[in-house]
Amino acid sequence: MQSNAPSLPVPRLTVDGGPDPERNDPVLSVRGLRTDFETAVGTVHAVRDVSFDLRKGQRLAIVGESGSGKSAMAMSLMGLVPPPGRVVGGSVRLNGKEIVGLDDAGISKVRGKDIGLVFQDPMAALDPLKTIGSQFVETIRVHQDVSVKAARKMAADLLGEVGVNDAARRLSDYPHQYSGGMRQRVLIAMAIANDPSVVVADEPTTALDVTTQAQVLDLLAKICDERGNALVMITHNLGIVEELCDSVNVMYAGRFVECTSTGALFASPGHPYSKALLDCVIDPATARRGALPAIPGSPPDLSVDEPGCPFAPRCPIGRDQERCAVERPQPRTLSNGAVVRCHFAYDPQGETA
Amino acid sequence: MTSTVLKRLGVALATIFGASIFTFVLLRKVPGDPARAIAGDTATEETIAALRKSMGLDDNLFVQYGNYMGSLLRGDFGFSYSTGNSVGTLLGQRLPATLELGLLSVIIAIVAAVLAASFAVYSRRRWPDQAVRFASSLAMGSPPFWIALLALMVFSIQLGIFPGPEGRLSPGMLKPPNVTGMFTVDSLLAGRWGTFANAAWHLLLPATIVALGPFAFLSRLYRNQLRGTLRETFVAVSQSHGLRRFPVYNRHVAPHGLLSLLPAASLLFADLLAGSLLVEKVFGWPGIGSMTADAIIQKDFAVVQAVLLLAAVLYVVVSLLADILMTAADPRTRVGAR
Repeated sequence: MQSNAPSLPVPRLTVDGGPDPERNDPVLSVRGLRTDFETAVGTVHAVRDVSFDLRKGQRLAIVGESGSGKSAMAMSLMGLVPPPGRVVGGSVRLNGKEIVGLDDAGISKVRGKDIGLVFQDPMAALDPLKTIGSQFVETIRVHQDVSVKAARKMAADLLGEVGVNDAARRLSDYPHQYSGGMRQRVLIAMAIANDPSVVVADEPTTALDVTTQAQVLDLLAKICDERGNALVMITHNLGIVEELCDSVNVMYAGRFVECTSTGALFASPGHPYSKALLDCVIDPATARRGALPAIPGSPPDLSVDEPGCPFAPRCPIGRDQERCAVERPQPRTLSNGAVVRCHFAYDPQGETA
Repeated sequence: MTSTVLKRLGVALATIFGASIFTFVLLRKVPGDPARAIAGDTATEETIAALRKSMGLDDNLFVQYGNYMGSLLRGDFGFSYSTGNSVGTLLGQRLPATLELGLLSVIIAIVAAVLAASFAVYSRRRWPDQAVRFASSLAMGSPPFWIALLALMVFSIQLGIFPGPEGRLSPGMLKPPNVTGMFTVDSLLAGRWGTFANAAWHLLLPATIVALGPFAFLSRLYRNQLRGTLRETFVAVSQSHGLRRFPVYNRHVAPHGLLSLLPAASLLFADLLAGSLLVEKVFGWPGIGSMTADAIIQKDFAVVQAVLLLAAVLYVVVSLLADILMTAADPRTRVGAR
């Protein structure tokens, strides 16, 4: 994907927040989502006013540093924010159904059925005391009224589909008898077992070794292609974004600072933070010895929400600008269609717009 | 597998051997002359000397220990001077009473701890957790003999709903025919319902009091284990699949808690089998505990020695069993990795 022409649908972070009437209705529609964690030292605002739409078959990447609120956002989409965190505002609509504020019974009907989640650490994501088969059968039978025998058959078929050899027999194995890569395949199979319209993958390959990472990512892409699930890929690996996703939302301090197509991001990043992230990607062909590129400073403390741009202290432009320190940038659209929150974004039509 | 079992058995035997030497030497080095204690204040020096000789106390420690182990291996636990019985006979009479009390206490402690901690953790409110923690602090902090006295005053003397410290049956109640030596079990086997009710009625109060300490310990352990498991990723994963709160708890949280309870509960059980000294004494319960308490006061070496050795053997055997059970219950140890 080298061209900067956004041939695939771009998620619109429209100012008024309304859905775009020109396209089919989004399967996932998030508006003004806010998630807080009440800690002893104060309230951490992990997700602050996040809005986006996701359509059938779309593959959206959410990128950002550790602590930018990516995982908290993913968990918010599932209604699975661990205490002491909770969604404090906004709306998450899945296939038109509002899920914020649902009780245990209501949200359980949605989880797995409308939205599936693939977790970061496959080694810890399966119950060590239960066989793969029993966990899989349980997953299927939560949403489908089938016999244990039929569910086992379905589980074996799905396991075969994700590349587990001798699947029927391996259902009787325990998680510790599977390798990390195989466990992640199992978890992907479980996440799609009830055919959710949206699959959220929260850094699904971070815990895997490099050789299995590519296989697992290819599998995710293949599965979503074949079944038409929309994919939200949470990652800090821009290589994954370029290879797998058609659009990108760059997250910083709990907000999307740039929403654009993958092509446009790699061709001309609009937000200084996006540019800094891209500058940190090492190309082995041209890399020289010496210090690795890094963004100076560290992500801001999320328990304070100061006026101004949260990236300003680390920003090559905003560091010296009075405006960036006092006025919070509102989303605006650049000439290539990217929506950025920055007073001095790089516009492909001019130096800074 | 076989080599691990053999290794564990070797360690077990060494532990028991060590315990036998330790108790043997310790008891002979504490101040006070057992011969003098047995012979009484009015005995002459000659009588005491003769008694010392007959008890073998004049031999050196190695010879004494050799004699002791020799007779032990022949099944002779020695002679209790203070009661005039062989220690073997005493144990045979006393052990079932303690076993019955210990078993019921452990069952009460486990059931109560699991119920209380489950409620505390599962509830969305805070007060159940605080209540259970308070109750367990209270149970852990109060000396059982004091609780025993208090309970007797309230439930037996004031309210009259439980019997006084009269042992295992009401006076005049006939013992059931001896099969296991545990009156509740034997009376059921014989179909004597009245005896069963009476034995159970006598058992309940001391068993509950003995259960307090283990309850405190187990409920905390179980609560902490549950709370730890709730934070595990696989719990969130099963939720993400659409499982509701109760099935998640029931299938993926509680089993981990129960598994962690197994070794702790078995060691507590071994502890209780050695007798709860003071509670048995307060309730006039004719078990190992009250026997040991008397024997210590009487300097009745043979009895104390036998009980300490019995405790060591029980600990070793029960922890061995717990290990084997754990291995069987946990798939990670049962089924090897591929």
